[in-house]
Amino acid sequence: MSFGQLFLGVLGGLQVTATVTAYGLLFAIPFALVFGVTQHLTSGAARIMITAVIEFWRSSAVIILLFVFYYALPVFGIRLSATAVSALVLGLNTGAYGSQAIRAGLQSLDKGQLEAASALGLRRQHSMLLVELPQAVRVMAPTFVNELIQLIKGTALVSLVTLSDMTFQAKQLAEIEYNPVGVYSALLLAYFVVCYPITIFGRWLERHTGGARSLSGEF
Amino acid sequence: MSKAPISEIETGEGNKQSKAIEIAGLDKWYGKFHALKNIELSVATGQRVVLCGPSGSGKSTLVRCVAQLEGFQGGTIRVFGKRLHGLRQDASRGRPFAGMVFQQFNLFPHLTVLGNCTLALRRVLKQPAPTAREIALHHLDKVKVREQAQKFPAQLSGGQQQRVAIARALCLEPRIMLFDEPTSALDPEMVKEVLDVMTDLAKGGMTMVCVTHEPGFARAIADEVVLMDEGRIVEVSPPDVFFAAPKQERTRQFLAKVLQ
Amino acid sequence: MNFDPIMALSCVPAILGVVATTVEVTLASCLGSCILGFGLEMARRSGVSTGYAARFIIDFVRSTPALAWLYFLYFVLPRFDIVLPPMAVGIVGLSIYFGGYLAEVFKAGIDAIPQGQSEAAKALGLSRIDTMAFVLFPQMLRNVAAPIGNYFISILKATPYLATIAVPEMLGRAFDIASDTYRYAEPLVVAGVLLLLLALAAAQLVRLLERKLAHPSRR
Repeated sequence: MSFGQLFLGVLGGLQVTATVTAYGLLFAIPFALVFGVTQHLTSGAARIMITAVIEFWRSSAVIILLFVFYYALPVFGIRLSATAVSALVLGLNTGAYGSQAIRAGLQSLDKGQLEAASALGLRRQHSMLLVELPQAVRVMAPTFVNELIQLIKGTALVSLVTLSDMTFQAKQLAEIEYNPVGVYSALLLAYFVVCYPITIFGRWLERHTGGARSLSGEF
Repeated sequence: MSKAPISEIETGEGNKQSKAIEIAGLDKWYGKFHALKNIELSVATGQRVVLCGPSGSGKSTLVRCVAQLEGFQGGTIRVFGKRLHGLRQDASRGRPFAGMVFQQFNLFPHLTVLGNCTLALRRVLKQPAPTAREIALHHLDKVKVREQAQKFPAQLSGGQQQRVAIARALCLEPRIMLFDEPTSALDPEMVKEVLDVMTDLAKGGMTMVCVTHEPGFARAIADEVVLMDEGRIVEVSPPDVFFAAPKQERTRQFLAKVLQ
Repeated sequence: MNFDPIMALSCVPAILGVVATTVEVTLASCLGSCILGFGLEMARRSGVSTGYAARFIIDFVRSTPALAWLYFLYFVLPRFDIVLPPMAVGIVGLSIYFGGYLAEVFKAGIDAIPQGQSEAAKALGLSRIDTMAFVLFPQMLRNVAAPIGNYFISILKATPYLATIAVPEMLGRAFDIASDTYRYAEPLVVAGVLLLLLALAAAQLVRLLERKLAHPSRR
């Protein structure tokens, strides 16, 4: 097989990669918003619990978490598809990082905004939704783009739990074709082709929102 | 100081004129902004020149060009007859002809006061460590900061830091000292101690070019006061003329605003 | 089948037994990625063409998953007659991957140094090399220490990837136990918990480091 054919072969797994990413976002975005906002607003025992949940999902090794959920959930009687488990684990991990970005964004806001909002008679929840969050999201947009890229790259792990993403396709091809140089170069190139445009978009965003320099805290 | 690689200025290239600094037709742009417009200025050896003017007038830019921290597009700057070639990008810079004192001190935070002074002595003038120490302590003593030699800049007051910065520049025994608003970042109580050091320096015959907002210093020390505005030189006069009977209307306006 | 805590506990010694490998890999990869990252950043600053090349390498590495790099190196290096033990391959792979991220850390660390520092050095006649070595580098180290500490934790959490290339570390050992006993949940959970504890401990150390650095030096 020529390199071009290998490349297309690897890209055959793109749909699974995209699917897991999309489902992952379904977990990540709500988690990030809910936990980020509540961590910012609460204090005391409630905050400690919220932080514990966030830290669990943030500080665990994703690959181990993935295997644990994949193998251990059935033991507890919960049967989920590999896709669901992957989306859950990757999504909540990404969401945990996202929650920190949201919190940082909220903290960086000018307090005057909050005062103006309450002077206008807005209740805290409304001011949060209408005034603070949109600004925080705008400011942290480059960070969110980074998190998205992390998520996409994280989906490579699902090849280890039998899902046919790009990495899985590459491993299959490598066994059939016996051309590891070509196959794995194609794999690297495939991820590059998917993620690099998003990186460029993130940089464009950074320039045009004048927002915070993206905080990289994780790979 | 004999082991030092002597800068080009000293080798006798160019005429042995008495002009320390000669600026002719100097033009500088920052992109589209014309920062310095056809500047003509001479500073004789041993002369003290004070530059003043509103912010954005180009006075700092001019001093930085002489210090070779900025490049320029047109005209010439000669120091002791030798032409300067804009930014010095060479790998080994050698002993500078002018010492520079910055508004923000720019001391090296990770080195002690003594370390700040001996670094260039050892690396640029190739002095062995004990000699470097001696020279450094001597100059720190002259600015009355010797007891702080082992401290770090963060542990000193602003006035002390600036005096260290002056000593650091003097350690290399430059023939000219350049000051870019040396007291503007200081609390008022500390301005005097720095001005006293600069006054001592002037009394010792040092050629000085100083950008400052302190009219008292200008009156006491300067041989010439230069007003700059919008990138041009407006007036060059001795201090008694400048402050009492300025030649230019623009100078009058400036003085009226500043001396309120 | 239910989760067996006793069995889980019995896995602990076996998995803890390879903690040394995990830590070794983390330290070596941290060093490797610092060297690569610093080299890349220096290359980026040193000239127009090297700058573009370095920029491209950094972007390429950051757009690709670590797992892909591990596979690539593991299968491709032998084709070029470079035979390394799996652990070495893993270290090289993680060093390349995180080197791309550390290049940004070094960039930020150098950019954070006030412009006045290099101007003062220039005004004193210090050569470019001396300025770099005596003025900028020491200050850069101070600026990058905490971010590198955080990436140390990220590298720690990435060591389980090496299980996919037959390195005897914690996840690999967990799978060994699983294939012997046919019980997957327990060893995997143990590996996960132990690694999480390691990561949290490392995070505490990093926080200590940050606090120490926040105080100006007093001798």
